[in-house]
Amino acid sequence: MRDRAGAKVLELADVWKTYRSGELSVQALRGVSFVVREGEFVAVMGPSGSGKTTLLGILGCLDRPTSGSYRLVGQEMSELPEKRRAHVRGAEIGFVFQAYNLLPRSTAYKNVELPLVYGRVPLRDRRQRVLDALADVGLSDRASHLPTQLSGGQQQRTAIARALVAKPSVVLADEPTGNLDSASAQDVLGVLERLNRGGATIVLVTHSGEVAERASRILRMADGLVVADEPAKPRPISAPI
Amino acid sequence: MLEQWRIAFGALRANWFRAALTALGVVIGVSSLVAVTAVSAGAQRQVGDSIRRLGANVILVDGEFITVGTGQSATDRTLTPDDAAAVAKLPMVTAVAPHQDIESLSVSAGRYHTVTRLFGITPAYSNIYNQAATRGRLISAADVSFGRSVMMLGVIPAARLFPGQDPLGKTVRVGSHEFEVIGIQDRKGKLAGESLDNRVYVPLPLVLRVLLGGGTTKSIGVRVRNERDIGPAMDAIGALLRKQHNLPPSYADDFSIEDQAAFVKEAQSATTTFRVLTFALGGIALLVGGIGIMNMMLVSVHERTREIGIRKSVGADPLRIQVQFVIEAVVLSTLGGIAGVLAGIGATRLVGSLAGWQTLITASSLVLAFCVALAVGLFFGYYPARRAANMDPIAALRYE
Repeated sequence: MRDRAGAKVLELADVWKTYRSGELSVQALRGVSFVVREGEFVAVMGPSGSGKTTLLGILGCLDRPTSGSYRLVGQEMSELPEKRRAHVRGAEIGFVFQAYNLLPRSTAYKNVELPLVYGRVPLRDRRQRVLDALADVGLSDRASHLPTQLSGGQQQRTAIARALVAKPSVVLADEPTGNLDSASAQDVLGVLERLNRGGATIVLVTHSGEVAERASRILRMADGLVVADEPAKPRPISAPI
Repeated sequence: MLEQWRIAFGALRANWFRAALTALGVVIGVSSLVAVTAVSAGAQRQVGDSIRRLGANVILVDGEFITVGTGQSATDRTLTPDDAAAVAKLPMVTAVAPHQDIESLSVSAGRYHTVTRLFGITPAYSNIYNQAATRGRLISAADVSFGRSVMMLGVIPAARLFPGQDPLGKTVRVGSHEFEVIGIQDRKGKLAGESLDNRVYVPLPLVLRVLLGGGTTKSIGVRVRNERDIGPAMDAIGALLRKQHNLPPSYADDFSIEDQAAFVKEAQSATTTFRVLTFALGGIALLVGGIGIMNMMLVSVHERTREIGIRKSVGADPLRIQVQFVIEAVVLSTLGGIAGVLAGIGATRLVGSLAGWQTLITASSLVLAFCVALAVGLFFGYYPARRAANMDPIAALRYE
């Protein structure tokens, strides 16, 4: 079991999220509270409709809670204006999506560079950081390839490099292996594990128990609530990357 | 910022055909603006040139033919030397030049002959109509007082009567009378369709006594002090001549008075219709072009919903997204603007040569046209860009 004594990165207190459309209102989150500390690898599990994607949107500052408090590295996010939230997303959060979400007309290099462009990192500093991030995910030789020229696993690893390049406080992954065959999935999970061992804080949303077992801690959700918060079972030695 | 321009160019290149079609409206709009300003400026300059050629602040008084019973004299007009002297005494008049002319007159030199318009003039005429000789000299006061048989040629009769030769000192025959060529008038160009170069000039007394007979003149050129005097002077001359001619109130004028500058300006109104139509066309084309750009940008924003979501998720704030799309619209419209400026220059040349209008393309008009294109891009790109900027990142990322 991993050391839990790191600083608080994510802090949710009684977070509610209600979606309204006309007369109908759906309570996607009904009072969620938990803390994620630096260096943790947390898997959020639950069936569809349990609120895990809504939760990830709030954690990623893509969405606001209807009520409750969300603090990211100590700063309250729920009331921040969109401009500041955008800057927080660029600086503090790295996203990995199920559908990779790479820009199709940009090379792997350009895709990884994006957070640095929006973070106003000077041009001369960008290059090394992008190449380092690509090296971290084992894609040094694919920098000039377009997403269409990369396999699914390679695209997802490019997305992971993009998520890491700005050195965020947390990486949020939404079903990162959902579109991959099992070999590529193992590959991507291996990369995430390795990054976590290197100190990265990761929150991963999945409905697959197999994937969740790679994490150090599992949050189980149902009907907009966290119903269980437990350390993951000790796992067998992971497959080679 | 450089990054934003690269993104904009990349996005346009990916859909270059659509972009080119969209920009066409701006191209047409800008090119018509360039053409219309060039034609306007050319027309304005032409008015200025013509007035300078005609002489500034000159009023032309034409006498009617003298009618006796039902017969009409072939040559006698109502304007007498007394009339000219009386007009000269009016306070606002600075110069008076009685002159006579014979249209469609056949003149010859050796075996060459041509049909031209002969003017009998005095130095006062040369003075108020800004005559100048490129070669030789003008009709002098001595030529007039001694009744010398001398002639100054316009460039057209000079070339027709003396092809490849120097006309100075040679002889031109008008009927049985011979004139010595003493000068060639500088090139005057056209006025209201008539060439001012197909003319020959001789001393006024020769026309009156030798060629036509009689002492009246067809016309008197009157110069006044300044442009403001033209109207009052026309009224004063009219009243004076009626008195001179003892016309009872029930009789119509037996002369006509015209402001030649007004005539020039009138002649230029031929281009006014073209200018108004082209200006309207340009404005409409720019409006339609702008709407086209807005439409394309809306489609583009919609198609790139996912891209917008991705950019937002990696830290692009609304302003950056907005700037990106505005730049894209501006790049499109300014490329259209540049193409429009080039097309406008071409159109101006074409219109100028087909219609025979003088045109003038000024740098400021090109800059203005370009700025209009820029403004169209900014204006019509703003709303689609705003829409992109305000997209909900979650919905944008989930958009299929």
